[in-house]
Amino acid sequence: MGQLLASSADGIVVAAILAVAAMGFTLQFGLTNVINLSFGAVMTIGGFTAYLANVAHLNAWLGMLLGGVAGAVATVALGRGVLRLYARRRTQLFEMMMVTLGMGLVIDYGLQAISQNAIYGYTVLRGAPLRMGPIAVTPIEVGIIVMALVILVAAEAALKFTKLGKALRATAVEPSLARSCGIQTGRVVLITWTVSGFLCGIAGVVYIISTQSVDYSTGELFLPLVIAAAILGGVGSIRGAVVASLVMGLVTEIVAGYGGAAYSTVAGFAILVVVLLVRPGSVSGGAEDRQLVL
Amino acid sequence: MNAWGFYVATLLIYFGVDLLSGISLNLQFGYAGVVNFGYVVFQAVGAYAAAVVVLGPSGGVASFQQYVFGARLAFPLDLLVAAAAGGLVSLAIGMFSLRRMRRDYQAVVLLIVSLIAIQLVSADVPLFNGANGLTGVGWPLGQLLGISATSSPWIYAAWVLAICAAVFVGVTWLSRSPWGRSLRAMRDNEAAASAMGLNITALRLQVFVLGGAIAGLSGGLLVEYIGAWSPGAWGYAETFVIFTAIFVGGVGNYRGVVIGVLLVPVIFLEIPRFLPAIGYPGLIDSLQWVAIGLAWMLCLLFRPQGILPEKRLRVGRPVGPPETAVAPAEGAI
Repeated sequence: MGQLLASSADGIVVAAILAVAAMGFTLQFGLTNVINLSFGAVMTIGGFTAYLANVAHLNAWLGMLLGGVAGAVATVALGRGVLRLYARRRTQLFEMMMVTLGMGLVIDYGLQAISQNAIYGYTVLRGAPLRMGPIAVTPIEVGIIVMALVILVAAEAALKFTKLGKALRATAVEPSLARSCGIQTGRVVLITWTVSGFLCGIAGVVYIISTQSVDYSTGELFLPLVIAAAILGGVGSIRGAVVASLVMGLVTEIVAGYGGAAYSTVAGFAILVVVLLVRPGSVSGGAEDRQLVL
Repeated sequence: MNAWGFYVATLLIYFGVDLLSGISLNLQFGYAGVVNFGYVVFQAVGAYAAAVVVLGPSGGVASFQQYVFGARLAFPLDLLVAAAAGGLVSLAIGMFSLRRMRRDYQAVVLLIVSLIAIQLVSADVPLFNGANGLTGVGWPLGQLLGISATSSPWIYAAWVLAICAAVFVGVTWLSRSPWGRSLRAMRDNEAAASAMGLNITALRLQVFVLGGAIAGLSGGLLVEYIGAWSPGAWGYAETFVIFTAIFVGGVGNYRGVVIGVLLVPVIFLEIPRFLPAIGYPGLIDSLQWVAIGLAWMLCLLFRPQGILPEKRLRVGRPVGPPETAVAPAEGAI
């Protein structure tokens, strides 16, 4: 029982980290309909930015902010600069995913080249763990959970109550109709990329805070979990992404607690595979007519 | 046998193995329309299967490497087992991943399958000796002839290329057969093909399994030359090199695959070996991957149909505007 509680607590922390990334991913995915496989690479960019901020003796929270900004800048640059080129040549939806794959490779290995393939320590914001029975969480982990919840509430509120949120939902459902209603879909996409990129950068920083190191493959290893959580939670659904992250985080950590760390990620992925096996319609329905929104 | 001779022979062997991989992926992607991002798993399965039936019975936990099954089969059973293993695993994976789902989801699922596979194999030591992998794999045909693969690489290269030629001829013949025509019908217009009575699911599965078998065969050939095989050899990134190769050469036709495999894994990835060592050790390797990513992106941007686009068979007079041969299966899922 104690093990279960401790693993569950760890699971919620993992879920929080995953949720921040998944929310950013699903925002982008829900609007543009492209599975952006360079998302992990942008997370790594955010992580490295925070690392450099740390080296320059900047405050750790400022570093996190800068990481988010770096993520936003990178996402917008890639989307506007690179993906636009392909959209102009009327590339299909699924080929766009392959383009983002190529982008991810270039960034990942470019970072490997620049970072000389070394692993850099990032030990900031570590506090002594608070102990409540079998559960041990550090204050920063609690902070991460709080952050994820704040982002969830803010994103849901923005989507529901602001004009921009309505424009985003309209564009996601039917872009041509949204355009004829006077919504500037190009601007909506741009803002979505900025916010999603910001979340991506933040997620990268949060991830390296918990793993205490950063190297070129940081985001690459985390990305499949993020995609799995986003798909499991339903395309474009922020709260779905959070619920899915919770499920995956709990399963991953509980399996790790009982079965060993090696099988934990397998368990996490297996959830997605099982869901797609048993009920493919529930996560992929009505997708044949999805169009590319860029 | 000087170093150059050994190098060129090894290059030829890798060319042959990659050619088989390219043919397999071309079958799965170009014909069945499956984006198999987990391709390397099938090659790995074939390699492990061949290794395990050549190494002899496992010594269990006590010996320095443990694995399941274990036999000492003679040629040609080792390669047949490799191909069968690849086919069986692709059957199992195909059963759940070839359902009607978005192609991008399918790609992600297959990628995840390869990630799961690598984690499982690395963690489960009694299976295939975990992260350390298997070593000491011999070459049964060579044992028959009394030679070893690494001491006579040219003979091994000839052997590999002979198998490649046979597979190439077989696959080209198949693509011209009625079965091949139904494949193209399925790929180009699934709704019409289905309305004509073709069993789409069965066709897709057949192509996927055939691709998997060829991939397994390539793995078997590779492991019998290298003599060792471990999870480090089949990371998910290896799949992308082959994908880039078939895209650059031209998806959907086999001569394109030959050109692509010649250009990408062989020439493109070998050139850095001859560059002067610049920067720190390992810089060239990183830049190689950057270059692969760029090549992939440039190819998709400027010539998505590849160097040798597929020859569209025209029957009678075309009615309406001619279609442009872009990357396949826009009409499918």
